Amino acid sequence: MEPHSAGRDGAARALLRRESKALRRQVLLPILLGLAALAVTIAGAWLVARLLAALLGHPGAGWAELAAAAALALLGAALVLAQERAQLAAGEAARARLRDAAFARLLELGPADPSGVGERASLVVDRVEALDGYFARWIPAAALAMLGPPLVCAAVFGADAGSGVILGIAGLLYPVAMALTGIGAAQASRRQFEALGRLSGRFLDRMRGLPTLVLFNRQEAEAEALGEAATALRRHTMKVLRVAFLSGTALEMLAAGVLAMLAFRHRDLLGGGGNPAAALFSLLLVPAFFAPLRGFAAAYQDRLHAAGAAAALAPLLAEQGTPGLALEEMPPRVVITFTDVRLTYDPARPPALDGLSFRASAGETLVLAGPSGAGKSSVLRILMGFARPEAGRVSVNGQDAMALRPAELRRLSAYVGQKPHLFRATLRENIRFARPDATPGQVEAAARAAHVTDFAEGLPQGLDTLVGEGGWGLSGGQAQRVALARAFLRDAPLVLLDEPTAHLDPGTESLVIESLQRLCLGRTAIIASHSSARARLGRVLEIEAGRAAGAPRVGAAQ
Amino acid sequence: MLADLIRVLGLWRRQGGWLLAGIAVSAASTLLGVALLALAGQGIAAALGGAALGGGLAFLLLRPLVLLRPAARWTERMVTHAATFRALADIRIWFFRRLAERLPAGIGLGRSGDLLGRLVSDVDALDGLYLRALVPVLAALAVVVAGVALLAGAPLLAAAVALPLAIALLLPLVLAPGAARAAAQAARAQGRMRAAAIDPLLGVEDVLAANGEAAARATLAREGQALALAQRGLGWRAAWAGAAGTLLVQAALLGALAWGLAAEAGGAALAVLGLFLAVAAAETIGLLPRAGISLAMAAAGARRLFELADAPPPVAEPARPAEEPAGHAIRVEGLRFAWAPDRAPVFEDLELDLPEGTRLALLGPSGIGKSSFAALLLKLAAPQAGRITLGGVDIADLPAEFLRRRIACLTQDARLFDDSIAANLRIAAPLAPDAALWRALDRAGIGELVRTLPEGLATRCGEGGARFSGGQARRLALARVLLSAAPVLVLDEPTAGLDAETERAFLETLESVTAGRTVILITHRLVGVERPTRVLRLAGGRALPAAG
Repeated sequence: MEPHSAGRDGAARALLRRESKALRRQVLLPILLGLAALAVTIAGAWLVARLLAALLGHPGAGWAELAAAAALALLGAALVLAQERAQLAAGEAARARLRDAAFARLLELGPADPSGVGERASLVVDRVEALDGYFARWIPAAALAMLGPPLVCAAVFGADAGSGVILGIAGLLYPVAMALTGIGAAQASRRQFEALGRLSGRFLDRMRGLPTLVLFNRQEAEAEALGEAATALRRHTMKVLRVAFLSGTALEMLAAGVLAMLAFRHRDLLGGGGNPAAALFSLLLVPAFFAPLRGFAAAYQDRLHAAGAAAALAPLLAEQGTPGLALEEMPPRVVITFTDVRLTYDPARPPALDGLSFRASAGETLVLAGPSGAGKSSVLRILMGFARPEAGRVSVNGQDAMALRPAELRRLSAYVGQKPHLFRATLRENIRFARPDATPGQVEAAARAAHVTDFAEGLPQGLDTLVGEGGWGLSGGQAQRVALARAFLRDAPLVLLDEPTAHLDPGTESLVIESLQRLCLGRTAIIASHSSARARLGRVLEIEAGRAAGAPRVGAAQ
Repeated sequence: MLADLIRVLGLWRRQGGWLLAGIAVSAASTLLGVALLALAGQGIAAALGGAALGGGLAFLLLRPLVLLRPAARWTERMVTHAATFRALADIRIWFFRRLAERLPAGIGLGRSGDLLGRLVSDVDALDGLYLRALVPVLAALAVVVAGVALLAGAPLLAAAVALPLAIALLLPLVLAPGAARAAAQAARAQGRMRAAAIDPLLGVEDVLAANGEAAARATLAREGQALALAQRGLGWRAAWAGAAGTLLVQAALLGALAWGLAAEAGGAALAVLGLFLAVAAAETIGLLPRAGISLAMAAAGARRLFELADAPPPVAEPARPAEEPAGHAIRVEGLRFAWAPDRAPVFEDLELDLPEGTRLALLGPSGIGKSSFAALLLKLAAPQAGRITLGGVDIADLPAEFLRRRIACLTQDARLFDDSIAANLRIAAPLAPDAALWRALDRAGIGELVRTLPEGLATRCGEGGARFSGGQARRLALARVLLSAAPVLVLDEPTAGLDAETERAFLETLESVTAGRTVILITHRLVGVERPTRVLRLAGGRALPAAG
């Protein structure tokens, strides 16, 4: 665990460093503006100190200085506004780039990624958003914490050397105080974020399965379990915060101590007729001295957020996409050959494919049969580039199919998986998804061919009816037919179907099989199916435990 | 906006003690800060003015305050955070219960991507209402009151110092509505961006199959840009609010100086006091305009939470529940039902009689309404006419909780939770011993597979059962239903996703594993081994006897 997390930290740091370097120009502007605002504050404090001294009987300043101080206050506010504006812009470009890169990687990993969709979506949404604090707040705050206090210290030193020394010592003590209180807190804080993430994950998981919980009358028990989890987390969090808040307290002790020491020093000084304006100036600048340090402490939370986010993102972004060749031209006809192909998902379980060999000739429909887990879907997944065999050869028209980039391999095929997904859009848009440049006529023809029109006519808006995420509002069989319509529209030389009639009643099934026969006409097709009607589709190949069972039989109907 | 926030406060009632304590400690700690600087100012004024004695006293009082103030700040942070955690946990659970009551059948057409964002970030945004709005506003109010009290001797000075500070107090309320619009816009943009990420990931196979990666990335980038724009608007508002806070504090400070200059020698001490009060108030008051933004964000979050939470319940609970019947014979009389007025009715005048122990196979093509029957039976939906009785009592008069105890249902969307197999099964029977779990697993035809897993019953299922294949997850869900003690089982396509052999093997044992119970098997076809006692085919909204 330890070396692993150390490696993750290293990768996370490298990621943040790389991105900061790319952003150097953008973050320089807010830092410079922040320093300018601080300089204006110092000048303003000098005027106010002189005015105060004048009030207390040491004349030398009047209404002109007051007007100047007011003008400086306005200038300072304008500079702070400009700084914030620059900070807001700084993170945007980095976030957009990182989000796109992470999302592209997630799509490329595709179905092979075992983590939940919620978790993966949170990578490209929440984690990337959390990085914003790093660029927009942490980097400027860290720079200002390094540059600001010395600037104030120098100004005070110029006015009164002793006060400058007091501030200087406080500045040197600050890292010591932080080290004493901050390091343990940082570690604990990171674990805390993870625990919070798990709690949110649990909450979401249970919300998604709410119908299941309600049907078993378990919603109340689950609500209580959520409450207990939250209580346990709160206890733990408060323990962590007890220490974490001490760093803020240390800063305040330091500030209060400095104030007291300056006041004490100047009480003696005033008796001897020192420079009252300088004394007041040093006192008035105490808040300005500590403000960048306070900003640093506040932004530290952003840094922790960002470090956690970078640690989660780094492994994803570090991986390289699968290289490969591009498809030179779309072949009109396709011959698929599997030679002794082996595929293992999980070393602890038997291989999914264990030396499978077969050949699907151009224009042939091959039906893969066999018990579930025999490896039918794996054949389709390899041909879709979702899985890579570890041994054997898969060839398309005699060429090694695995030499192609997965995205290029997929261009050959129209594929319908076991659980086709309907996007939150109209039926028409869902079908058009397979080929965005299709004409309305082509979409309607595909809908008719897959018997989508049959049930769409009964819907209030026909093909323009909106369906929910995951196909809400349609039965399983209807969703299946929408997916088949996509395959019709796709018009690819290779057709790959995984249980295309699983959710259909016998009446619809025979209709769909009829249209499947039309779909497969003139194309090479590989169909995984349990259906008793499968023999009507074409030659049946029995697969058992990852290999062909005996010689392929010839389908009865052909 | 105000109504929503007041309602949130009402939901936090249980934690009132903690919340008030947080406010009290915060006000005390802020006043300590004021006292610290006021004394320092007085000490200096006295020293410069030559009254060494008064200055000495001020410095003497200063010492304990120097130590007390950081301690008070620490306590303030601890108490306010503890109060926030408690309040947020309460609201999360309230929301969960409320949705279970109002949306028991799930979220339907709402984008679950959007819902994800709502649940997590909207609940979290509510902490701003307390931590970043209520607490600082009330603490600042204490500062302004203290300032007016201390400067009461010079009304003009009091006005010069307190007026800008009071304006800062009002700013949050002035800024909140505009910020609320910007916050709502940003939240909507984030919801859309999340949906743009989730939808393609949910259907990743289909996206890849359509070579739709570039389109999905372009959509996400577009939504990301829209979000950045909305956030920039919100951030810009916050920046203006922050600048306004700083300027108001400066105005108070310079006002005190101006009063001093005008009053000449006489008012020096008071002017210095006023100036130091303004400096002391800077930290608290400077935060206030931003409190308006936090208020707006919290209000926007609250609005969306309540929108979902206030969905009308699909079926009202009976005002006076009937006595719970002993039997579980089911009768359906003259049932008419449509999902929406503009949709074709699913049932029209449906009649059905199922004595105890019936094994009914309910057949019909996909989309005919077989699953709707289960929804009506479990009161996830209410019929427009007619009634269903259980043991002779109209289910409309029975609490849903009772019905769901009597009727266990394997729905098409039955879900496995990211927990152990044992915990997933025990959802149906919390007290079931391991032996009962194994029995149920064996009956569902998956016991053998679970035995081969190194962690056995403790194996985690992953989100939505992702660690298992579709057929395996289906069988685990089936085992869960078989484990339930309910005398009526509704099995909606129990064998979807199973291969023919496994399906046959399960259906052959259906009679023995459900011995004595009423079984409603909803399926689009019979394999021939189910041995139902009745077979009905749904057609045209009625159930017709069928041969199978």
